[in-house]
Amino acid sequence: MKKNSTVQKIARIALAAAALCSVFALGACSKKTDSAAASKYGSDTLKLYLPGAYTSDTLIPNFEKQFGVRVIVENFDSNEMMYAKVQAGDKYDVLIPSDYMIERLLKQDMLQKLDKSMIPNASELTDAVLNLSYDPKNEYSMPYFWGNVGIVYNTKNVDAEDIKAGYEIFQNEKYAGKLYWYDSERDSFMIALKVLGYSMNTDNKDEINKAYEWLLKMHDTVKPTYVTDEVIDNMSNGMKDIAIVYSGDAATILNANKDMSYVAPDQGTNIWVDAMVIPKNAENPKLANEFINYALSYEAALGNTKAVGYASANTKVLDEMTKEGGDFASNAAYRPRAGFAKDEIFHDNDVIRKMISELWIKVKAH
Amino acid sequence: MRINKFRLMTYPYIGWIIVMIVVPMLLIGLYAFTVPGNDVASVKFSLDNFARFATDAVFLKVVGKSLWIAFLTTVVCILLGYPIAYIISKAKGNKSMILILLLTLPTWINMLVRTYAWMGILQEGGVFSSICAFFGFEGVSLLYTDFAVTLGMVYNFLPFMILQIHTSLAKMDNSLLEAASDLGANRVQSFLRVTLPLSLPGVVSGITLVFLPAVSSFFIPKLLGGGQYVLVGNVIESQFLTAGDWHFGSAISLIMAIIIIISMWLTRKIDVQPKKEN
Repeated sequence: MKKNSTVQKIARIALAAAALCSVFALGACSKKTDSAAASKYGSDTLKLYLPGAYTSDTLIPNFEKQFGVRVIVENFDSNEMMYAKVQAGDKYDVLIPSDYMIERLLKQDMLQKLDKSMIPNASELTDAVLNLSYDPKNEYSMPYFWGNVGIVYNTKNVDAEDIKAGYEIFQNEKYAGKLYWYDSERDSFMIALKVLGYSMNTDNKDEINKAYEWLLKMHDTVKPTYVTDEVIDNMSNGMKDIAIVYSGDAATILNANKDMSYVAPDQGTNIWVDAMVIPKNAENPKLANEFINYALSYEAALGNTKAVGYASANTKVLDEMTKEGGDFASNAAYRPRAGFAKDEIFHDNDVIRKMISELWIKVKAH
Repeated sequence: MRINKFRLMTYPYIGWIIVMIVVPMLLIGLYAFTVPGNDVASVKFSLDNFARFATDAVFLKVVGKSLWIAFLTTVVCILLGYPIAYIISKAKGNKSMILILLLTLPTWINMLVRTYAWMGILQEGGVFSSICAFFGFEGVSLLYTDFAVTLGMVYNFLPFMILQIHTSLAKMDNSLLEAASDLGANRVQSFLRVTLPLSLPGVVSGITLVFLPAVSSFFIPKLLGGGQYVLVGNVIESQFLTAGDWHFGSAISLIMAIIIIISMWLTRKIDVQPKKEN
């Protein structure tokens, strides 16, 4: 799930205002429709629902031009917010939720199968993001961005020996007051469970309670500051030395501040995938399949990853970005490690979610 | 017949109250007194949610902290707001209108944007720490402290306090002050015995307008205090948005509503006193 910096947030507000104006302008002067597209797809309008600032500026305009259609884009702040709207009956043609949310949508029979014959670009996807447990044969979803969770640290102020401890550095008193922790119960418990050697998807209450105690100790020994999106700006400016960050955001930080480096600890981490899906109630599934194929193409994926900084699901784009002279050539965070045995995909569990959410509040208020 | 016609005109208002206030309150009450069941048909009434809240030291600590911050904000708002309101009400002609305009001008900008601006000012490397560095104090950061949260709250809620006090000061009859000085009162005495009691209703409604939003605010503490700054509003938010436990969230909301009603009742008691003297 994309996290936005403060600057991006303000930019988004400005963009939204501009978009609103242009919608009125469009509505006022022309209602041009492309009858060719309408007869081919059944409609010339595509409704997209995706996280904010998740595409390049050219993705949507180019798609509109190439296929003679109109795209309506709506943004969401969290998977949960998206779920609430879609469940309430709002109609969209393409959604881009995260892995665990796709799992939930599938369980509730809210997605329709993709038309693979319309998506030849699926062959360009990298193996690490394919056939994962949330959608074992990728019948319902096509990966868009992926990444993991790790530690960004200032190489000038943090001993190389200390960082080898992985997440345990968050109980090292030496760095008290110099750390940011990502304020999310899911990622917090993932880390604590990984440190203790458990699965991040455990439903064993003893293990969760032990993780809770680890977090309490972390809270009391190093007194981290709990932040969310601000971490991108703050670490880019070098305000603290160590932070828990999503790999895609870490890639942005590393490009902005050369003193920073990134490591996905040996204790294991969470591999996440955001993927495109078509809901059951989509009004224009044919055009939706066309869009998914377009977004997977080399050019579109390249533009997206350059603009957003998140790892592309397209193999060639990944290679292009990390090869010598690429945008993320010596960036330790951009390309998530694949095939590491201790890395896991997150699974949604209603009971556990409530439990850790309450425990997390207690950690912070301790 | 005419009276009935006027009564008809109140129907939309009554409808609005039912849909927007009564029904949501009933729903919160229903959620608060039930526990999640397996199917929709069987509603299980229970006091579990309240017991869970009352027996947990962490939640009680959070409520205490919320009330304390809201109290602090209200006191600072009165101390700062009263003199400003007094000055504005004494200003002649256009001057007072301009002062009011200047006061309300920042509120035209979205509260969230203004709070983000404070983050930029208070953080390390921001405006404030640059000024401190100029005087030789390096690396000063006020962001994520009690001070930052109180400052953000006072900044956001101060105009409500000033406007309320100003309204009651502005409508005060000036001849009362003239009479007081005729009877030999000096300026301090006439302020304490005439102006202050007459402006108390404004102070009281100012308190209501500042204390209530302050006690339930959640994004100001989150942005300026950091994630570790947990107030009741943050707990309710997380119960609804991340935990998805609407029952417990509703119970906390209901408890807060009761606390708010009690504090309103207490402030009304202060309100009654000056009227008795009349």
